[in-house]
Amino acid sequence: MNPIKTFVPIINGLKITLGHMFKKPITLQYPDERPKVATRFRGLHALNVSHNKAKCVACYLCPTVCPAKCITVEAGEDANHDKFASVYEIDMLRCIFCGYCVEACPVDAIKMTGEFELANYRREDFVYSKERLLEKK
Amino acid sequence: MLNLTIDDKQVTAPKNSTIYDAAKLNGIKIPILCHDKKLKPFGACRMCLVEVEQMKGRQIPACTTPVTEGMIIRTATPDIIKARKMVLELLLLNHPIDCPICDKAGDCDLQNLTYEYKVDANRFTDEKFQHEIDYNNPLIERDMNRCVLCGKCARICDEIVGFGALTFISRGIETKIGCEFDEALNCEFCGSCVSVCPVGSLLARPFKFKARFWSLTKQKSVCGYCGTGCNLTLGVKDNKVLTTLYDENQGFHNGQLCCRGRFGYQFINSDKRLTKPLVRKNGVLVESTWDEALDAVAARLKGAGSSVAALATPRLTNEELLLFKKLMVASGSNNFDHSAGYAHAALTAGFARSFGSTAAPSTILDIQKSSLLLVIKTDAYETHPVVGFEINMAVKNREARLSILSDKRGKLSKLPDAKTLVHVPGTEIAVLNSLARIILDDKLTVDSAAALPGYAELVSSLAPFTPEAVESQSGISAADLRQLATTYATTEKALIIFPIGQAYPGHNAALATAVANLAILTGKLGTEGAGVLCLSEKNNSQGAVDMGFYPVDGGSDASLILDGCSAGSIKTLFVAGENPLISYPDHARVKSALDKVECLIVSDLFLTETAAMADVVLPACSFAEKEGTFTATDRRIQHIKPAIRKVGQSRSDFDIFSALITRLGGEAPATPSALFAEIAASVPGYAGMSYITLGEEGSFAPVEVKPVLTAATAATMPACAAGTFALLTGSALYHNGTLSQYGEGPMHVCPEGYLEISRGDAATMKIGENDLLTVTSDTGNMKLKARITPRMPQGVVFTPYHFSGNPVNRIWSGAAVTGVTLAK
Ligand code: SF4
Ligand code: SF4
Ligand code: SF4
Ligand code: SF4
Ligand code: SF4
Ligand code: FES
Repeated sequence: MNPIKTFVPIINGLKITLGHMFKKPITLQYPDERPKVATRFRGLHALNVSHNKAKCVACYLCPTVCPAKCITVEAGEDANHDKFASVYEIDMLRCIFCGYCVEACPVDAIKMTGEFELANYRREDFVYSKERLLEKK
Repeated sequence: MLNLTIDDKQVTAPKNSTIYDAAKLNGIKIPILCHDKKLKPFGACRMCLVEVEQMKGRQIPACTTPVTEGMIIRTATPDIIKARKMVLELLLLNHPIDCPICDKAGDCDLQNLTYEYKVDANRFTDEKFQHEIDYNNPLIERDMNRCVLCGKCARICDEIVGFGALTFISRGIETKIGCEFDEALNCEFCGSCVSVCPVGSLLARPFKFKARFWSLTKQKSVCGYCGTGCNLTLGVKDNKVLTTLYDENQGFHNGQLCCRGRFGYQFINSDKRLTKPLVRKNGVLVESTWDEALDAVAARLKGAGSSVAALATPRLTNEELLLFKKLMVASGSNNFDHSAGYAHAALTAGFARSFGSTAAPSTILDIQKSSLLLVIKTDAYETHPVVGFEINMAVKNREARLSILSDKRGKLSKLPDAKTLVHVPGTEIAVLNSLARIILDDKLTVDSAAALPGYAELVSSLAPFTPEAVESQSGISAADLRQLATTYATTEKALIIFPIGQAYPGHNAALATAVANLAILTGKLGTEGAGVLCLSEKNNSQGAVDMGFYPVDGGSDASLILDGCSAGSIKTLFVAGENPLISYPDHARVKSALDKVECLIVSDLFLTETAAMADVVLPACSFAEKEGTFTATDRRIQHIKPAIRKVGQSRSDFDIFSALITRLGGEAPATPSALFAEIAASVPGYAGMSYITLGEEGSFAPVEVKPVLTAATAATMPACAAGTFALLTGSALYHNGTLSQYGEGPMHVCPEGYLEISRGDAATMKIGENDLLTVTSDTGNMKLKARITPRMPQGVVFTPYHFSGNPVNRIWSGAAVTGVTLAK
């Protein structure tokens, strides 16, 4: 047994540990402390609102592009014969947070927020309806 | 064939083809916007520009320029690409580009070309169009802001449909497509314009915003309404048929459909569909299980012998009709019939004796090869609109002459140079007989005619039908009769076309024989463009005849079956898909028969008036949910495959009959395809066919004609009493049978029965449009809204027969002409 070969790595390891003891800790005391997410973070979706209505015109591009097939859109015709999303649902259990929907949207109607606390008790609660997705201002 | 060079490739193309056709034939794609293979070349959009070396490299439109020998053509030089890009830029200049909310997106030629040519910016700027959008009718939305002025809609409506609802209005930058006086669209709603519009200017409203084009599963099928047998493509999503899609390569009609075919599909996924079997308990129909219902039915059928009878709709597949027949045979009965027992008589009795075959010798394709079309009753357009389009095209594009014998005028009468001879209602057989007599008298027959069986009897039977005698009877002048007879006999390619159906009791065996006599005497027996074409009413009427679903050896026909029900000799009546209470003549008689029969079994898609009276109701499924074959009116056999899963617990009639045969101890064929093998082996003309050989095109069953001349005797018409009107029943353009009432499109356009009356009569009686009239006949009375039309002769009124809300059979007991009085 060569004592140098045995002890040098241990000392090196202890040096790193010792170094960390004097640095600012990176562990967050969640939920008392909360992370600051980057602006480009891809969390829960929100439907942008304009003129008190969702901007979404139900073009069906996001459900088409979505690789996880978790978006359900149904179009309706309002009194002015305009198209709107009578149903807009995202199943968060299936969403892979790829952000393709945001990229596909031709009218900038959907974005992804920093919201990441998506845990829930029941499966149904993971299906976000249009009302739940509307952006909160 | 001409030799040319396209994009450095040596190719050949037929004379008379355009550069576009020649390129397409040789697999070279030239982009188009305003060109359609069904329409005449137009050259409006300049998308198809190509360079021709012989024309000093100028850019010329490929879709309008005919090829010449040795032409050297380039289709994709940088200059051409640049020019096409500019065309697109200019088209997009005033275009709203609202693809996200435009229903055409995904199927839009402008969008596709813009993408293909990478037009992502526009060098020009201008204002967008601000045309008002036409939302005035429930079927077609017209948004002229998206229009690229290709003119296809106006051209198809004129060239093929012959309605002419649309045209270019205004000039220059103001140009747009509009209707008369720039008002709302009000036309026959065939949807042809919608189908050819390359952009989202014309949209089908029933499908608007329902789904994106790319998310639809496309299933090719055959229309389930009339006997034309048009092919269509169903657009399916989430097990629902959401629309019919246009495919210009489908069928003899190149994807053309009528209002029923295009907009009448909603019955398939209607909320009113029956989803569970119903069994009557303590006087009410309650939901039940298949086992209980089928056991109850089997118990009634087992060993019942001639106390059971069956009525079927000719909308069932060939396989189902044959199996239904087998079920009746297994129960020991030969009482089965379809179409009220008389609507098929022209084939099963008339042609059977005259041609020795239960089918007409000509096909719809003959219309485009014929030089004289003799149409009996203008209703041929209403009963078979797509056949009407073919007639229109033959007259307009090929200058075929059109003669019409009818009791009223109609849309066909308006075609260029169409000659309509309007006769007194009910005298068509006398008129046809007089034509035969003139042909005989003037020695215009073929030489072999005199040797045919029945010649002498025919000659003597025609004695009373001198043109003069028939003139006084029918109101058609002897000179006109003579002229028509001569023209018909001397035109080599002359085709007689007549519709049959439940609303046309006068188009019966005698009429078919009278028509056949003319064809036989002049030797027009199904050669190219010459012969007889009988238009059968429903999608599989011809198939029902071919499968022998009518009484042959001593069985009762529909009329005797109803009598038997009333008299108690028939104790169990199994009705598959028919709604006799509405569609058979004489409501009171049908009602009492259905009341009296001990056990009424109905299989249907809906709880129809007839089904509501039943003891057992079996939920059947539509053509979109099953496999089988339909035989079109010209014996074109076509294979259909399911587009969706069966709705609710419904079952195909095939499965229902199979289950019953098994319960009766018999052996049922495993699949429709196995049964079709039996059909191919036994039905004349079907030999060698199988689902595989039928493919997507289908195939014709040849008709072998053994001509026999027979006297055609018309039942003498009781002359309508003075002061009465002659009531004619018939088909409305938007409906077929009673099924189309469950299709939303037809009901949007034509929701209820009406009474057409001439302008003169309306004026004398001070009747206004839509006035509610009480129509009274010997058998009853009913209220109908007046519709004043120029097409009706004085003293003649017309009503369609499809409506549960206004069942015409309350005043109509099956006569070709019924005397009625009108009161406000
Ligand atoms: S892509 Fe945008 S506009 Fe289209 S459906 Fe999705 S959110 Fe709505
Ligand atoms: S017509 Fe075509 S290009 Fe125009 S908005 Fe509709 S889909 Fe887009
Ligand atoms: S629906 Fe038919 S009749 Fe009406 S405008 Fe279009 S093509 Fe013409
Ligand atoms: S409405 Fe459609 S079919 Fe008619 S001219 Fe405009 S783009 Fe062409
Ligand atoms: S109803 Fe007749 S003419 Fe109309 S689309 Fe169907 S098969 Fe064709
Ligand atoms: S397609 Fe040739 S000019 Fe329009």
